[in-house]
Amino acid sequence: MVAEGILVVRGSAPQTYYTLAGVPDFASMIEWVSAKNASAIRSEFLSESRDVFTGRLSRLKVLLKQGLASEWLPLVISTVGEIGNNTFDHNLGQWRDVPGCWVETQVTGKLLWICVADRGQGIFRSLSRMHPSLSDEKTALHAAFEKIISGRAPEQRGNGLKFVRRNFSETGNRGLACLSGTAFVSYGDLGEKAEKFLKKNFKSVHGTVTVLVWGLS
Amino acid sequence: MKVEIKKFGEILTSRPAGRDAALTIKSYFKIGSNEKIELDFTDVLAVAPSWLDEVLSALYAEFGRDRVVCLPTENVSVIESLKAIQEQGT
Repeated sequence: MVAEGILVVRGSAPQTYYTLAGVPDFASMIEWVSAKNASAIRSEFLSESRDVFTGRLSRLKVLLKQGLASEWLPLVISTVGEIGNNTFDHNLGQWRDVPGCWVETQVTGKLLWICVADRGQGIFRSLSRMHPSLSDEKTALHAAFEKIISGRAPEQRGNGLKFVRRNFSETGNRGLACLSGTAFVSYGDLGEKAEKFLKKNFKSVHGTVTVLVWGLS
Repeated sequence: MKVEIKKFGEILTSRPAGRDAALTIKSYFKIGSNEKIELDFTDVLAVAPSWLDEVLSALYAEFGRDRVVCLPTENVSVIESLKAIQEQGT
């Protein structure tokens, strides 16, 4: 089944295990997001400052060796950069315990999966102070991805997540899903797949988890 | 005057870095009174709208929109970032 591309071998002996191809194994991220207190968790995927996050973006060049076409690498990096920087822009002084964001990628079953997660205040809390008409988490999450809106008014901001949505939904074989608080949203051909992954692993989060999926040819 | 954006870095995504870049262009580049400022993205790997928005907003305010030009590029992150900024109406 490995040869047929149905299963993927993960880990190394003596802890080898198998997972379905096309489904990512983000167990460490899930543990970090779900932990009551994540202060003791250390990982190469966790960037606790913007400088570290920015420096690590160049690591995404490895995706060229994993099947991503070179003309698309800039778009993938800028999209991840936009989400990660949002984490720092909107959670400064508002972290629950651990500052920063978790960024992890996996290629499986001809799909590139990218997750960006944080333990911040979540999109509803971030937006609702400046936009009290946003009545609930679902409305706020949709507004964040679909309208020019920001929790940092009067600064002229609010285009970042629209950029993210467009990059992963207006061309086929891509998608994204986001969970913030208890609200889920998804966009694009593969958005449902990303949302299914989130719903399988989370009922709610304190913070935000975004999963991007990019089909590799 | 041509401004080689690669001199500010290969990956340009954050607002703080964009603000710094704009301040540097305004302070250290000797730009004539009617000279155009041409932003050249050659050899830049990735640009995000947050970075570009900070740069363009500051340069537009200082020099006016007509004098600030983004040179044509095939880098899709630059193209899509410009689209996002134009939609916002910066």
